[in-house]
Amino acid sequence: MYKWLSVLSMVVAAQAAAEPVIIPAGEYKPAVLLDETVEVVVMPAFKLDAAPVTYAQYLEFVSENEKWQRDNIAAIFHDGNYLKSWPGNEELPAGFESKAVTQVSWFAARAYCDAQSGRLPTLDEWEYASNYYLQQQNLSDKEYAQMLFARNSNPTAYSKQDVDANIEHLEYMHNRVNEWVEDYQLLLTNGDNNDLLAGSCGDSARFMADFGDASYATFFRYQSRSNYRPQSTTSTLGFRCAYDMEK
Amino acid sequence: MKTFIKSAVASALLVSFAGLPVIAEANVPLKHDSEYVIDGKIYGMPKAKIYRDDYNGPAVVGDYVTMVPHLAELDYKGNKEHEVRMDVFSQKVEVAPGVSYNAWTFGGSVPGPVLHVREGDRVVFKMKNRSTEEVVITKPFKGASPYFDQIAANQLQKHQPVVAPMPHSMDFHSGTVAANDKWATIAPGETIEFEWIANYAGTYMYHCGTSSVLMHTAMGQYGAVVVSPKEGYPTDKEVDQEYVIVQSEMYLEQMGEDYIYDHSAALARDPSHVVFNGHVSALSENPLKSNAGDRVRIHFLNAGPSGTSSFHVIGAIFDKVWAEGDPRNTWYGMQTVLLGASSSATVEFIVPEEGVYKLVDHEFADAERGAAGALYAGPRKK
Ligand SMILES: [Cu+2]
Repeated sequence: MYKWLSVLSMVVAAQAAAEPVIIPAGEYKPAVLLDETVEVVVMPAFKLDAAPVTYAQYLEFVSENEKWQRDNIAAIFHDGNYLKSWPGNEELPAGFESKAVTQVSWFAARAYCDAQSGRLPTLDEWEYASNYYLQQQNLSDKEYAQMLFARNSNPTAYSKQDVDANIEHLEYMHNRVNEWVEDYQLLLTNGDNNDLLAGSCGDSARFMADFGDASYATFFRYQSRSNYRPQSTTSTLGFRCAYDMEK
Repeated sequence: MKTFIKSAVASALLVSFAGLPVIAEANVPLKHDSEYVIDGKIYGMPKAKIYRDDYNGPAVVGDYVTMVPHLAELDYKGNKEHEVRMDVFSQKVEVAPGVSYNAWTFGGSVPGPVLHVREGDRVVFKMKNRSTEEVVITKPFKGASPYFDQIAANQLQKHQPVVAPMPHSMDFHSGTVAANDKWATIAPGETIEFEWIANYAGTYMYHCGTSSVLMHTAMGQYGAVVVSPKEGYPTDKEVDQEYVIVQSEMYLEQMGEDYIYDHSAALARDPSHVVFNGHVSALSENPLKSNAGDRVRIHFLNAGPSGTSSFHVIGAIFDKVWAEGDPRNTWYGMQTVLLGASSSATVEFIVPEEGVYKLVDHEFADAERGAAGALYAGPRKK
């Protein structure tokens, strides 16, 4: 009973989560050229959650949406391991309230964002936000690449660190979890527009805007995520939501 | 030869029309309607299957699957169908004293297990992507391959389970198939199942082909398949010991207490370590053993991912070298064998006298980074 109360108080705290941050309009050069004729992408302004969605926030969502609870989710929307670490439909694993939620499929992540009157960011939006973040944080290409390769070397250690859901600036882009994006299958392997040299032993040079550490790190994020299925759930893959600017 | 092809084709036709199991000549059993024979080799494997199941049994299965440097004895005549499983998952492994990293592995070790088959054998292969699980390989497991006992007996790599969800794939160089089908990438939780025929004798690399293939292989996803020739090597009766060595480069940088993969170094081909059988001390902590006057055979694979190897045994000359392990490619009297990435050779030498014989990559920048081992020879027994 006491445990339940403490979970409830977390939910209340989560409701007070910070507003999404505004990512201002601008241009960016993708590290990975999905269309070889487009080197610069013009981005309109949009809003993005400052932090990945936490377990406490996700609990609130499933409490209000029974069909997305662990035991009620439709089989076609997940791979069998959806919210597997949860002891019950409305019960979080102990101590996970403030960690980035994982074990959620792309379908579930979309449903969550939809319930917040938002959506998953597009791949371009996410990467553009990442560039914006790196500039804000004054991170060098080398530091950024190291951060990503370090996370890939030990993703569990990173995914188990807390996130501050009330943070007011963009955070945790590269040092918590890999994140779903709306069009994650765009690249190379699983999408409809497969590249002939993709898949097994696919080289990457044809897609790289430049060959620095940072671009390879980014490429690797795209590539590993594009091999997931929309049903995939893992303990290191989470998400955050994007929102259109009010008209 | 022509007659044989015709009869094999006829057999294949018989299979497809009557659906009867037919053994073609030269012990080449055809199994699926899609299969056909050219020059005694079988092509046309059925499509790979990708599915989900709850498998949580031993991660490595197969009677002829071992840990380097061991090679299982082929204790059967003619050809055989092998059921082989090598699950893919992460594991913390040591590659040098005090240097461990979270490897991506087939079966939990770096390099992965050695599969031994005979030319013409069929392999029915299964692999589950268990990168979301902690998979323990240091305890004996009922139904597991000999590899498990050998790992339990040799804890040089200090294996510890690690969860690192990641899509992976399997590419057997020993298989002749459509790579876009059989070597497909599978997401965590998925299993891929496909067949291949060991059509050519030799020692072949296998590796993960998922992009970045440089990163996936450098993270530890490679190993060797030894396909022994159907008629054997001419020296089979004289060989006293038979071993497998896999050379590879590690690209690691220190980050705090840990070591992580360094992609810049991998692109620059500037390894932190170059290793035989996955550890700078693998063949000095546990040297190969023989006696003076023995004929030693080594199946040597250079897995790369990017470097060459100039394999040399200090104090010995390779009496015979079969390039790529194919008995038709015979060289004699070689001091060093030069191997590109994913190339192999089967070498034999006579151990001249009692003593210690160093095995090195004679590219000394590599030897100094760890590519060295030893063969210990006892007194002559014959
Ligand atoms: Cu891989």
